[in-house]
Amino acid sequence: MAATALPVTDRFLEVLERLSEKAIEDYYNPYQQFDWPEKLDENRLWMSPELLTPYGTPYFDELGEETLHRLSKWESINFYSLNVHGIRELLIEVVHRIHMPGFEVPSDFFHHFIGEENEHMWFFAEFCRRYGDKIYASTAMRADSAWEPEVENFLVFARILFFEELVDHYNTRMAQDETLCDTIRQVNRIHHQDESRHIAFGRELVSLLFTRMRDAVGEERLREVESYLKRYVVFSVNSLYNPHVYRDAGIADPLGLRNALVADERRRAHERKAIRKPLAFFLKTGIFSDDTLPVI
Amino acid sequence: MSEALQQVKDWILKRHPDREDIPGDLDLIENRLIDSLSFVEFVFLLEQHCGRPIEMETLEVDAIRTLDAIDANFFRAGVK
Repeated sequence: MAATALPVTDRFLEVLERLSEKAIEDYYNPYQQFDWPEKLDENRLWMSPELLTPYGTPYFDELGEETLHRLSKWESINFYSLNVHGIRELLIEVVHRIHMPGFEVPSDFFHHFIGEENEHMWFFAEFCRRYGDKIYASTAMRADSAWEPEVENFLVFARILFFEELVDHYNTRMAQDETLCDTIRQVNRIHHQDESRHIAFGRELVSLLFTRMRDAVGEERLREVESYLKRYVVFSVNSLYNPHVYRDAGIADPLGLRNALVADERRRAHERKAIRKPLAFFLKTGIFSDDTLPVI
Repeated sequence: MSEALQQVKDWILKRHPDREDIPGDLDLIENRLIDSLSFVEFVFLLEQHCGRPIEMETLEVDAIRTLDAIDANFFRAGVK
């Protein structure tokens, strides 16, 4: 997996130094940070309404208040479960690279990153287990063919960055939503604070890895990478539409609702809002040549 | 070929317009007709057509490796 050294810039070094210092200054003990109440009120929303998957379609109004409350509970458990699995998978990749030739410069920041991500995984898992009594299953399948090391390294960190930016959209909104309970707002606020550092780092690293990949592979491969990453974007967005969630919320035809929502054009504008920032970054850097997204 | 299996085949062909047909024993994973990104959608499609839930976490990749395997595992009467 080793590749040539990163084309490190002064800017990258400055950002790394600043973010590492901030990680040390802002360090907190997550195990003492949260007041976990015995129960959360089931008769109110656990997630901002505009973040719920039926939002913007007639299904939203048809479900009724009680079902929407249940749906918001299980969609939030699904959201935190996706975080648990996403973090677990990204940790595997970063741990694998932390002292790999080619990653000497960001290695120190990787130590902060791994420590913080482990703690995020803990508090998301804790939320799921305490208030949902479960973590929704991972949907990962590992059977892809291997890419060149430069492509593989780029894709690992591009996926991590996209995932963090998508999650951050939800965190930012829920942290600010005064109609949500304090515990939910706190979990989202704390995650957002740490993730803003990780996203800043991710953008710098992905830009460098993209430069290195462009120097190493041909145009045809670059188009394949773009196509793969676009499919990953759609895959990630679709993971929010979970039929097991709809079933737990008491919806009669969970798979039917999922199919209807994924196919409903009215959902696209809301999805685009959630992915606006990472998509703009992929376009600005030339990683994406346009903003069309495929059906997967 | 059952109607359900035909629909599964059509779903794959729609996503791979370069292919005209898929032999029953063709390795769908090796040939990248199903990959980690289409896996979830594919399993939901199977669930829909076989009418029972499928646990993705415990699903063996071999169970969906070929159309023949899919037919045997999900669409034949008295299946597991």
